[in-house]
Amino acid sequence: MTPGADGPEARPGETGMTEGSGMTDGSADETKNRRGKVDPRLLELLVCPLTKTTLSYDAGRQELVSRSARLAFPVRDGIPIMIPDEARQLGEDE
Amino acid sequence: MTDAPRLFDRRTVAARRRRAIARGRPEDAFLVDIVAADVAERLATVSREFPTALAIGGPTDALARAVADSGRSHRVLRADLFAAGPDGAHPADLVVDDEVLPLAPASVDLVVSALTLQWANDLPGALVQIRRALKPDGLFLGVLVGGDSLTELRDAMAAAEIELTGGVSPRVAPMGEVRDMGALLQRAGFALPVADQDRLTLRYATPLHLMRELHVLGAGNALAERRRGLTPPALIGRAAEIYAERFSDPDGRVRATVTLVSLSGWAPHESQQKPLRPGTAKTRLADALKTTEIKI
Repeated sequence: MTPGADGPEARPGETGMTEGSGMTDGSADETKNRRGKVDPRLLELLVCPLTKTTLSYDAGRQELVSRSARLAFPVRDGIPIMIPDEARQLGEDE
Repeated sequence: MTDAPRLFDRRTVAARRRRAIARGRPEDAFLVDIVAADVAERLATVSREFPTALAIGGPTDALARAVADSGRSHRVLRADLFAAGPDGAHPADLVVDDEVLPLAPASVDLVVSALTLQWANDLPGALVQIRRALKPDGLFLGVLVGGDSLTELRDAMAAAEIELTGGVSPRVAPMGEVRDMGALLQRAGFALPVADQDRLTLRYATPLHLMRELHVLGAGNALAERRRGLTPPALIGRAAEIYAERFSDPDGRVRATVTLVSLSGWAPHESQQKPLRPGTAKTRLADALKTTEIKI
């Protein structure tokens, strides 16, 4: 467990740049453009985080829909975002 | 989900995490590397396979990679907390909030969690959800920040705040104690629960370097009862002075304690060792001890 203890020590001169590096953003998004579809085997494991009931996958809208929670969880670049705060509330007619 | 007092503002935890990923350099999250190495080591001592594993953590691929490299599991799902970090060699498979785990019951064989559970408002609840996601005889390995972590920062901030404002506000989160963790695992229904801890002393050029690193890690103050708004520069400056006075080494660098609490537990299965029911012994204790039994 010792190597990490040197971690912060190893870059005393560099740390001053950490805050400035915010300008070189975008890379986080660019790296994700590699997949569009969710792995069907992953879908088998997933349930609604709030009600633990099954989800249905809407490939067109790229959403995982929880009927019981009335929420649609977004799938971004093939990655299901299972965060209730980021889910879309289902409309009356859905 | 619960009426228990909310210690952490989870939206703030999420926002800090996203910001750290977007603007910081998550590869600086060296603690994740330490924890991933630790998990790999623990996994190496378990002589069985876990076909499907879930690695809850991020923001880097270190944990998922460590589990995959262990050879114990041929399918490792990387679940990043609140936001997907950089791909690395093992891109994120899903994004989760570990207080509301989106996993079907008995769906995975191994769950590892790195440096996420210290922000749980309801740790027993989070552990129960992990246990339910595990198949019988599935394993959970988790590491969280706890014990007397950042005790130096807590002291320095409190001393500076009393000096400048005459009071204190919550700035460093309370930490879980290892002695409580074994009981929590048991309460959550894990068999053969084990909790232990590892104390690290990190050294920084100045206290400000430590504070900056906490922000890079997305570990800024997310306490629900925190004082809102910007922390006055004078307070940070005075806290840094006090920190340097009290906690520096002869070479001028400052120390910071980080205690990593490691948890492990198994989803119950009949094959596991368990105590026999009282009165079911087939051999007399006196015989085993080669002595004579004295009736009382």
